[in-house]
Amino acid sequence: MYTFKPYTERVARLRDAVRDRLIVSDAEKARLQLQALKKYIKFPPMLQKPYISLYVLERMPLNIQEDEYFFGGLGNRGWGGAGGMGWLGVDIENTWPIREDGLHHAPEDDPFYSHQQLAISPEDLKELREIAKERMEMTGGFGAADWLPDGVQEFFRLQANPSGKIGGWPIYLPPGHLTPGYQNIIRQGYGAIRKLAQDWLDAHEGSIMGDDIGKYMFYKAATVACDGAITLTRRCAELARELAGKAEDSEKKAEYLSRAESLDWIATETPRTFWEVCQMVMMYNVFLKAENDPGVTSIGRFDQYTWPYLKADLDSGRITMDEAQEYVDGFFLKINTFYGGGFGKNAQTAGIGHLGQHTTIGGTDPETGEDAVNPVSFMVLESMARLDLHEPTISLRATKNTPKEMWDCAMAASTRVGGLPLLQNDEVIVPSLVRELGFSLEDARNFAFIGCQEITGSGNDYPAPNGSAMGHNGIYWAIALLMAINNGINPINGAQCPEKVRSGYLYEMESMDDVRAAFEKICTWMLTWSATLNNLTEHEYPRLFPFPNLSISTEGCMESGKDVSEGGAKYNSYGGTATGLATTADSLTALKYVVFDRKIATREEFLQAILDNWEGHEMLRQIVLNTVPHFGNDDPYADEEMTYVMDLYYKITRAFSTCRCTTYKCGTFGASDHVVQGEITWATPDGRRTGDPIADACSPAQGRDKNGPTSVLNSATKFEQGHLMDGMALNLKIHPTSLRGDDGMTKLENLTQAYFKNGGMEVQYNVVDAETLRKAQAHPENYHNLVVRIAGFSAYFVDMTAEMQNDIISRAEHRM
Amino acid sequence: METGKEHEPVGRLYDIQGYSVQDGPGIRTTAFLKGCPLRCPWCHSPESQLGKKQLSFMSIRCLGVEVCGSRCIEACAKNAIELGKTRKNITDDTEIRMIHVKRDLCDDCGDCERQCFADALYLCGKDYTVSELLERLLKDKSYYETSGGGVTISGGEPLMQIDFVESVLKKLKENGIHTALDTTGYAKWEVLQRTMPYTDLYLYDLKHMDSEKHRKVVQVPNELILENAQELAAHGKKLQIRIPVIPLFNDDPENIRKTAEFCRKLGDAVTMVQLLPYHNFGVMKYLRISDGPAFEATPPSDEYMEKLKDMIGGYGLRATIH
Repeated sequence: MYTFKPYTERVARLRDAVRDRLIVSDAEKARLQLQALKKYIKFPPMLQKPYISLYVLERMPLNIQEDEYFFGGLGNRGWGGAGGMGWLGVDIENTWPIREDGLHHAPEDDPFYSHQQLAISPEDLKELREIAKERMEMTGGFGAADWLPDGVQEFFRLQANPSGKIGGWPIYLPPGHLTPGYQNIIRQGYGAIRKLAQDWLDAHEGSIMGDDIGKYMFYKAATVACDGAITLTRRCAELARELAGKAEDSEKKAEYLSRAESLDWIATETPRTFWEVCQMVMMYNVFLKAENDPGVTSIGRFDQYTWPYLKADLDSGRITMDEAQEYVDGFFLKINTFYGGGFGKNAQTAGIGHLGQHTTIGGTDPETGEDAVNPVSFMVLESMARLDLHEPTISLRATKNTPKEMWDCAMAASTRVGGLPLLQNDEVIVPSLVRELGFSLEDARNFAFIGCQEITGSGNDYPAPNGSAMGHNGIYWAIALLMAINNGINPINGAQCPEKVRSGYLYEMESMDDVRAAFEKICTWMLTWSATLNNLTEHEYPRLFPFPNLSISTEGCMESGKDVSEGGAKYNSYGGTATGLATTADSLTALKYVVFDRKIATREEFLQAILDNWEGHEMLRQIVLNTVPHFGNDDPYADEEMTYVMDLYYKITRAFSTCRCTTYKCGTFGASDHVVQGEITWATPDGRRTGDPIADACSPAQGRDKNGPTSVLNSATKFEQGHLMDGMALNLKIHPTSLRGDDGMTKLENLTQAYFKNGGMEVQYNVVDAETLRKAQAHPENYHNLVVRIAGFSAYFVDMTAEMQNDIISRAEHRM
Repeated sequence: METGKEHEPVGRLYDIQGYSVQDGPGIRTTAFLKGCPLRCPWCHSPESQLGKKQLSFMSIRCLGVEVCGSRCIEACAKNAIELGKTRKNITDDTEIRMIHVKRDLCDDCGDCERQCFADALYLCGKDYTVSELLERLLKDKSYYETSGGGVTISGGEPLMQIDFVESVLKKLKENGIHTALDTTGYAKWEVLQRTMPYTDLYLYDLKHMDSEKHRKVVQVPNELILENAQELAAHGKKLQIRIPVIPLFNDDPENIRKTAEFCRKLGDAVTMVQLLPYHNFGVMKYLRISDGPAFEATPPSDEYMEKLKDMIGGYGLRATIH
């Protein structure tokens, strides 16, 4: 068993302060951005972007909070605050009461705000609204709603993809969904990068021919971008000196002076110490957010790029392991403070309280191919588990040589922080990156995760993993199947597909082949529309979202003189994600079993039962629930339908490309989108009722996996997981009774190892807590998979009497 | 050859549990066989006791006759099903009328369960040929390999189906799989002996050292059980002793000491002594197959279990609580 270490008093104070913080938004940054926009409105976009961020960074108020270890932040009044513009969708004036401090506060009795304390002053709110209005008048926003291509309304009207649901087409900002080139910044320093750009400009002064004019724009932008990063860092040095001057405590004074010296150094040079490398990464992250807000800028392989510096510090006796751990604690606590509030559908889908700043640990060394776990890998998990952090998401890249102690640490962390780290399998992902995306072996070995689950290169890849348009570039598969058997009509709104993709009603179909043909026709048409719209928005990227601040760290851009938005990165691809695939697969299985193989119901009866939302057809529904096989039970009859759906997704998308890239990546994840999507999905043939959640990502439908975790994992390795280069999520709920005993954890490790050996790419475990058990008590249908295990005895939790359930719940509360 | 298959032994199981992590080392699949010569009142798997298939009724799954239209009542030619109690539906708080099985009239024919699509009524007990069971057990082979696990044959008392058990164990060994047999030890030595070549570990239950008390409570004396344990040890087999700790029956220090003393004498054969504290989750299983009354007691406290564990540890034995 792995035991976590204690943490220091300073870290404890900081942790409490971060956890209990009030997120106050203000108009400061938005005001500066508007001023800058006015000043640079006539600049070409490539230059406008870095000049705006430089303007903001020169003036943005800076602060460092009590007990913090690192400089650079987004809030003007303490932590938070960067989210300002994102708050405007809420009727704050009328729904958030003003308290004694004079601020509007998010209502405490609204469960949505129970995990986030938000506040804003009436003045700032008023100003933000005015700024938003003025910006809109100046730029017209980034929506493409007014110039969408002909015919797309037929696709939107169905409300079978995210854009249809929101009824518009805002161009999305994928730049955030990637792993910035922290290691390139660290290796070169802003001074050297700036010099590279300046040298090109000097060499070409007054003599720029042909396509080189594009390079000129880019290199010029790169120098301004570097100036922004240098300015931010130097201003933090000034702040440190100022604080040193004010500090009464001599220790504190010394700390600030030392920080000031370090910050001045890393403004242009490469880091010399562990603290400096952490600070430099933090600063670059903040720098990117200053322009691209709220970007999902992941942290990448933190343990890999910081360890050489820590090792040097340790070797020379400059630092102890305990001090280093304190810095790591401070680093991730600071990352947590970047969250600026979450609202509406987006928050419902992505979850609240985090920005998806995924951090990757472990994995393979790019050069040697050996397992690369190092002491920092452990420190990251220590921070997460001891401090109970849910941000950032951590992925452990497991190799066949991941040390036992790391497995133990990961499993111990997983039971403390639900589901973290995610367990990812290098043995599947690395070769797949080479095969599917054309990565070099060395670059493939250096991959990292971002956002939910997306796989990216480290600082060499512009992956646009969710596509370039709103809502994960996906379609709603379960709705597609419903339309396939219902003559193209979506039962929830009556909208119908165009005639060319209609195939009639279920009762006109003679076999499963007919059902599949109808399904494929609709899926292909919808996915192709989605890809077309992505291509359309990608075409506008260089105009709307050039991103020189990012390009200066991205391998390929500085060499080619092309921005990431123009395809300058070494690797270019895009992707999308799907969720509810098991609902779709189980629905196909139900059609196959009930209508065609066993003929339990006629085609007319079955379709009617679905269209009636199962009302008046409960017996038929019970047969579907209890007799028809489901995905996740290692039953080939059901699993082959899942494989079919996964293969179909992959097959259709092989033909897709954009003006920037030719590789489309399939993915299955999407945070809580299965709940949001479920709300607008009519009853499905798998027995699910209208509005109930659909299955999440590629996990079995809720409670349908009744044979335990090994069967789920066996089912999940029947489809080719290596095709899911946009990432995948397989969620497994583990009842706490399974972990009892000294070796309960070890068995969970062994479970994962066998699954990985069999071709599994990813899994995450959720040890079911008392709260979930209470939900299971109230909604047994969705929790048939929870097995209570005691030596020689097992029973489904939902089949137990209320008293016994309560007994189990009280044990779960005491972490049995 | 097809004809060969027809001569395969057939076994009757009441459950198969994957990711079984508490019945022997590593990750295991446990096959639970039906039928047992003992009648332990505390048995947490009462459906394991009788060898025949048994009609079970899980009231929590019953949708109520209002929804299904009393299909089970109509299907029963023996008039063994009548209207029963009402209960509140969990999800919408409506009152629903359930059914009640008149056990004296029911002959477990299964006519009703075929009409119950909610699976509230079901026949407990399913027959498998050796190859059918083996196919299921081999599915998780990779998990056994990474974890040092394997297959556990449990019951009921598996030795009551010795031809089947011997054949399954043999096939498992041919496939290189670690095998454990969870047994009461109550069988003729000639029967138990047949499992020896194919069994890596015995999970061996010891319930009471006093034969009279043993006989009085579980209906059979303990001499055969103790002798078999000694024989297995003498033949160099490994035993993991399991003691169900039942309040007011065998939980007194004297009995625990005697049991530990017996284990100590078995020498190296005993790899571990597992204390299984009584729990009352079996009660709901009684009520699925009978009208009760079910045995119920207060589970021993954690402190007391620790005390017993230390007591056993004092004999130089490795003791655990499960």
